[in-house]
Amino acid sequence: MSIVKQKASTMWFTQSLRLLHHELRRGELTIIFIAIVLAVATVFSLTGFSGQIKHAIVANSTNTIGADRVLRMSSEVDKSIIEKSQTLALQYAQKIETESMAFAGDNMLLSELDAVSDTYPLRGELKIKTSLTQIASIVANAPKPGTVWVEPSVLSRLDVKIGEVIEIGVAPLIIAGIVTDIPDRSYRAFIAGPTVILNIADMPKTELIQPGSRITYKYLFAGETEAIESFETWIKPQINESQRWYDAKAAQNRLSRILDTAEKFLSLASMLGIVLAAVAVAVASRRYGQRHQPNVSIFKALGASISHVRKLYCLHWALLSCLSIAAGLVTGYGLMLLGANAIASYLSLADAPLTFVPFLTAIFTGLLCAIAFAIHPIMTLVKSSPLNVIRGFSQEKVARFGWHQLPPLLALFLLLFIFSQDLVMSGALLVGGVVVSFILLLFGRGLMSAGRSVGTKAGKSWHLALANLKRRASENSVQLVSFTIAIMLLLLITVMKSSILSEWEQQFPDDTPNHYLINITQDQIQPLTTFVEENNIANQGFYHIYRGRLSAINGVKTVDKDDNDSETQNAEKTDSNKKQDSKKTKQQKSRQGMGRELGLTWRTELPDENEIIAGQWWQVSDEKPQVSIESNIAERLAVKLGDDLTFTLGSDEFTVPVTSIRQVNWQSRQLNFIMVFNQSVLEQFPTTSISAWSISDEDRDLVYGFLANFPTITVMDFAAIMAQLNSIIEQVTVAIQLILILVVLAGSLVLIAQVQASMEERERELAILRTLGAKGSLLRNSVLYEFVALGAIAGLMASVGMEIAVYILQSQVFNMSGSFHFQYWLVGIGAGAFFVGLIGMLSCWRLLKLSSVTLIRRTM
Amino acid sequence: MLSVKDLTKSVQVEDKTLVLLQPLNLTIAAGESIAIVGPSGSGKTTLLSILAGLDLPSSGQVYLKNQPLHQFNEEQRSQVRAQHVGFIFQQFLLINSLTALENVMLPAELANMPDAQARGEALLTQVGLADRIQHYPSQLSGGEQQRVAIARAFIAKPDVLFADEPTGNLDSKTGQYIIDLIFDLNVKEGTTLVLVTHDAKLAARCQRQVEMDSGALTEPMAEATLANTEENQPDSQTTTHHDLKSKTSVSQVG
Repeated sequence: MSIVKQKASTMWFTQSLRLLHHELRRGELTIIFIAIVLAVATVFSLTGFSGQIKHAIVANSTNTIGADRVLRMSSEVDKSIIEKSQTLALQYAQKIETESMAFAGDNMLLSELDAVSDTYPLRGELKIKTSLTQIASIVANAPKPGTVWVEPSVLSRLDVKIGEVIEIGVAPLIIAGIVTDIPDRSYRAFIAGPTVILNIADMPKTELIQPGSRITYKYLFAGETEAIESFETWIKPQINESQRWYDAKAAQNRLSRILDTAEKFLSLASMLGIVLAAVAVAVASRRYGQRHQPNVSIFKALGASISHVRKLYCLHWALLSCLSIAAGLVTGYGLMLLGANAIASYLSLADAPLTFVPFLTAIFTGLLCAIAFAIHPIMTLVKSSPLNVIRGFSQEKVARFGWHQLPPLLALFLLLFIFSQDLVMSGALLVGGVVVSFILLLFGRGLMSAGRSVGTKAGKSWHLALANLKRRASENSVQLVSFTIAIMLLLLITVMKSSILSEWEQQFPDDTPNHYLINITQDQIQPLTTFVEENNIANQGFYHIYRGRLSAINGVKTVDKDDNDSETQNAEKTDSNKKQDSKKTKQQKSRQGMGRELGLTWRTELPDENEIIAGQWWQVSDEKPQVSIESNIAERLAVKLGDDLTFTLGSDEFTVPVTSIRQVNWQSRQLNFIMVFNQSVLEQFPTTSISAWSISDEDRDLVYGFLANFPTITVMDFAAIMAQLNSIIEQVTVAIQLILILVVLAGSLVLIAQVQASMEERERELAILRTLGAKGSLLRNSVLYEFVALGAIAGLMASVGMEIAVYILQSQVFNMSGSFHFQYWLVGIGAGAFFVGLIGMLSCWRLLKLSSVTLIRRTM
Repeated sequence: MLSVKDLTKSVQVEDKTLVLLQPLNLTIAAGESIAIVGPSGSGKTTLLSILAGLDLPSSGQVYLKNQPLHQFNEEQRSQVRAQHVGFIFQQFLLINSLTALENVMLPAELANMPDAQARGEALLTQVGLADRIQHYPSQLSGGEQQRVAIARAFIAKPDVLFADEPTGNLDSKTGQYIIDLIFDLNVKEGTTLVLVTHDAKLAARCQRQVEMDSGALTEPMAEATLANTEENQPDSQTTTHHDLKSKTSVSQVG
């Protein structure tokens, strides 16, 4: 008896397993399975990958700054600071960072220059190889004076070998090895160019350091904690606006913030795919519920209790979820490895551990998809009446709006919140998503109705197809929206890549500057001026440049991100200090600053492409100090005419009133400045100049040959900048394309799930049409055209959406006049029609292959 | 075995009451085979669903093996069905995702019978499907599916077997074979058989026929033979027929 009882208590378990086994084998659960796998794999790979990147970058936190503390500034440090560090027995190293040209024969390359002292680095390891064939790297400090270490790409781009000479500024230096690991690597080098490391003793020989040069001085300190802290207490009050004092944690926080933002952006973008996967689960589980309704009724009619059925289906669903989640994790792990492999040359993730976070987030997402989006159909299923076995089975109409929609909406909100960590943003995205979907739906419905009217005049197949499309309009809504968005993004990327940038480049007049010359010393201006005049080279003249910081507005100090960083690193401050600080901040009501050092200049005449919109430009004779500010920045910083702005240049500080506000055409590619002063303010400071030249292809060799005489001048080729921009766009495109694949996959799943849900209805219709004598080709074509029309409508809406987005980009970002891209409309409509038609036909293939007899027997 | 007293069934359609069953009384003895005949919409299937405990009457009493089904909730009625009732439906109603054998085993498993598999295999052999036990319903013909349903109906040794138009979806030859099978097993297992049909030939094979019309019950062949074992009946009342004079058509009241 007890055995029987025990058997009874586990019978639901056995039956549940049996059901799962058969359903999986028959492919009935494939859509739900793939949808959950897709959601879990996406979340896992994304979270895991970004987590590993973050870890790899910030893990060895003391290594990332090459010291315990760093003092960063734009001018040389006061000797007293170094002396103080020595009295505290701190280790000390120095690093100078700048951008400069590296020359080898006729080749030149813009590179990131690191000049380091012999003690560098104090923490972490600088690793080099002295030959390309050497397998293991060796740990080193600074290269010997007269030599440099370069990143491998310098060799190929300058066509040089180890042992050969390159010129940095005016100094010839021998390449002694290649750098494989820099502890405090500047991630700017990704954008600026490959790094060249030289000994700081060689820096004067290069003659690159000129007044106004864009140079970063870093002073590195390390030592006993106590000594470091006492040094910190001593130095902090002396730090001014143009200097930054930070530890590894602050650097790490800064980097983490950037990575977090990138991660958030990618996660939210992939939310579209995850939401679609969840919708696929919802659609498929509704069909699942309807398909299983007879089974539950039969179970109950045969005597199964509600609890038996509930347990059976809950386990069935739970097992399916677990299986899908596990498969999703494995797939996600595979994707993550692929990602790690793809970036291996930039960053090795081999040592980065995998935390629990991606596992938990992915599992939670999977559960949310499996439960929240399926709970209503499963609950309804369990409630199926046994009486249905007698009365027959009818598909219960689900109310469009009701409580049953609450769990999916809550789940969506929760998913958005997990990825954005921002309540307001999650709400806004949810509402925004609903509004955008609604607008797309409205248009989609309109187009489907229009299609229906047109269809009556088209052939029989089209007539049937468009009538069906309109009748299933509400079922088709989700895939319409998803395909529209996917196609739109695809078109946008294509148009951006192939069209907008080239259109933007082409719109400039011929004499638009295409080269920027930086770091021009005062004695070089004369020969350069003579050269451009003799050779008729269009140029914008020479602008003196000074590097400075806006430190106060009307006497109120400005706050920018660097200050926030120092706040972070000050976390160890005592409570009383903190209170005092916050009191001080409140009293001062600090104002928003620029957050970076600015290029400042003086002019006697108002520059071209500038227009005064408030106040007046100064007279040449007017020696009263004053500044003219660019209008957008004035608006952002809430600066008005007459406001006093305080600037810090190195260790000097001065305050000037705003006497005019200028509108600047930033799109002109001319040299433009946010702050322009009159001569009397800046002329006493040492300076270098910059210039912008328009060099034609014929003149290029002549100009480059001439400029080779001035190796300290950094030449930035606009074409190279555009190539850099294109390569950044290329990289962003890869990330967006991955997300697009996800969206297209999830959208296809929704389409297939929707087709499956309508399968019985389609069978009945086809059977009726067959009975009435419809030809096989008519039926096939009507099904094909239905999906083709759906895809074409999505493509059309996507094209319109793309055109609007492109117009906004053209008018707002690139300041161009709008243009149509009709050739891409054809691509959008064609691709939509082809892809949706293909997926639709594949989903209906089994149905279309049934013989008339089978079809009629199955449904009649 | 099975008795109903003053049973009625009506449903509310919007604000009107639709009477499906007029007050009726009926007693079915153990081992008896009874056919409920009548035109479509006469209430046969409604009566069957109440007799089998799938539905509840609006008023009146229903006893199955002395158990007052009209007082039971869904769960209790499930239990009664699991222990005492078997079904054969016109649409076969097999679970498509289970094999023939698993379909047959289902009632035995629900009734906690220990040898479900062996019994299932034996029954499938009896109905001539020994070589199809691992096949899915979609791989079987209509006749074969109904044979699986018959095996499923008998596996838990039900006291009462309810068959709702069991040959309705089959051609006459297969239908005949199925009928023979049902009656053979009925005799062999000593099961009470309640058959709903509008096939007069099929009804004639039952010991008794009752006719339904417009929700009311009549027994044209009142001489129907009874195996009158009273032990299962709630009271000693003999078969009661509804007064034909009081019979009205299914009407809307109120």
